[in-house]
Amino acid sequence: MTELPKKTNKKLGLVIDLDICVGCHACAVNCKEWNTSGHSSPLHDVEPYGDDPTGVWFNRIHTFEVETEVKGSKTVHFPKSCLHCEDAPCVSVCPTGASYKRDEDGIVLVNAETCIGCKLCSWACPYGAREYDETAGVMKKCTLCVDKIYNENLPENERVPACVSSCPTGARSFGDLGDENSEIVKLVSEREGYNLMPEQDCKPVNKYLPPKLNKDIFKNKELKPISKDEDQDFEDWIEQVQGASE
Amino acid sequence: MHPSKSIIFFTVISGTGYGIFIGLLFNVLFVEISYNLEYKLFLSLASFLMIVTGLLSSTLHLGHPERAWRAFSQWKTSWLSREGLAAVITFIPMILFYYFWIINISGYILLLILTSFFSIITIFCTGQMYASLKTIPSWNNPLVTPIYILNGITLGSLFVYSLNFYFNYNLNLFEKFIYIIILLNFLSKIIYWISVRKKSNTNIETAIGIKSNGITFFEGPHTGKNYLTTEMINTIRIQNSNLLRIVFCVLSFITPIYMINQYSSLVTDPFIIKISMIIVFVLALIGMIIERYLFFIQSKHVVGLYYGNKN
Repeated sequence: MTELPKKTNKKLGLVIDLDICVGCHACAVNCKEWNTSGHSSPLHDVEPYGDDPTGVWFNRIHTFEVETEVKGSKTVHFPKSCLHCEDAPCVSVCPTGASYKRDEDGIVLVNAETCIGCKLCSWACPYGAREYDETAGVMKKCTLCVDKIYNENLPENERVPACVSSCPTGARSFGDLGDENSEIVKLVSEREGYNLMPEQDCKPVNKYLPPKLNKDIFKNKELKPISKDEDQDFEDWIEQVQGASE
Repeated sequence: MHPSKSIIFFTVISGTGYGIFIGLLFNVLFVEISYNLEYKLFLSLASFLMIVTGLLSSTLHLGHPERAWRAFSQWKTSWLSREGLAAVITFIPMILFYYFWIINISGYILLLILTSFFSIITIFCTGQMYASLKTIPSWNNPLVTPIYILNGITLGSLFVYSLNFYFNYNLNLFEKFIYIIILLNFLSKIIYWISVRKKSNTNIETAIGIKSNGITFFEGPHTGKNYLTTEMINTIRIQNSNLLRIVFCVLSFITPIYMINQYSSLVTDPFIIKISMIIVFVLALIGMIIERYLFFIQSKHVVGLYYGNKN
């Protein structure tokens, strides 16, 4: 049913650290890889080797240049996937009940058997989290890897969404954002995590951690040589290089 | 937003079909006309076909039209579901009305009132479906739904007018009704156009949650297009949107008012004037299609902010 649950037992979601993300797109690639054979499989591509390829992705990385006060501007890589909102507008606009939010963990899913492909949910989502699969004629979206996080065939430490396990920098954390004592909630409060587009009133579960725009490591610091004996340093360096190549 | 032909066609044509009942109801209640059978059959068939082809064309844009019946289930939350349900409920008094009216059984007025009521409810649901989307600031406007209803009544009334004109029925009072509807429609449209100029409070700073004097879109997720960019982010830039707005006003508002006001001074064959009145309706319909096209093409979905659009 498309009535949203008043309260979910858990609020599973992601916390994405914009200070750490390097924009390598590994999370998006691994997302596509896992999900093309998962709950919403396959994630169709249209003309993948043609002139104008398109396809369904659940996770996309956008890059912005942000002007800062201290040091010119900073590049901010911004990964974006479904935020599994508490007041998910995509769910309540669905005319068939194919879109739903789970009572037990708050994950927002689409039932591909009952979706009529009217696309209204994708219009209602401010974040662009839903993508229409024109080959299948149904709407698809991030499942928070529902088929991975509860998968008992996997070792326990691998039961996290594909984007989290593939992130080489640890910019993505996964957990229950409804549990006040969880590590992930502590991380959000320590780093002043925030909601995207709060004025849209979707109450997203996923949180973003701000990039440190005005890092003072360069500010008012004189650059000094770190060693006193330059000749000795050079010899050490030669030795290191030789040692590495042997 | 991408202007889907089937949605534009559906909303304009079915809106006209529903509007016909409102125009007819005014005449039945306030003007004494003894309708002949030809008139009744033609009006019934025309309104029925407009509504049915409109509804059928709306299912054309679905990924799975064969599952469309499922859309009636979520009326508690979804305006689209309510719209589908209201459209189906309207058929009950509507078909009964056709029958009672054509056979001339008393009680048809009550059925016409019910049909008109549910017709407005159906257009109301259509309008609300758009107006409730916060993600598209120019649609999330209190005037969107009234304009949808007024557009339907305008076109429906112009259709009834051209038909009454053709059958030489009394038009004096109905002309005033059409003037008032067109005036209301025009005023709503002007206020709407002014009010959508206001900038949305969703902008790139709230979209990525960073406050800065300057945020520029540096690189997209990919070099090609995707579903979001083709469906929600227009690449068509309308250079002459003001010109198209004027064309709409001329076709849908000024031409009908001019013709209704001035036909008696035209010196020509009465049959040509009758045909001209039908053409006036068709021109107004074309104007409304232009207006609906602009409604889509000029609306900006906030997801565009993530792809470098300005709010």
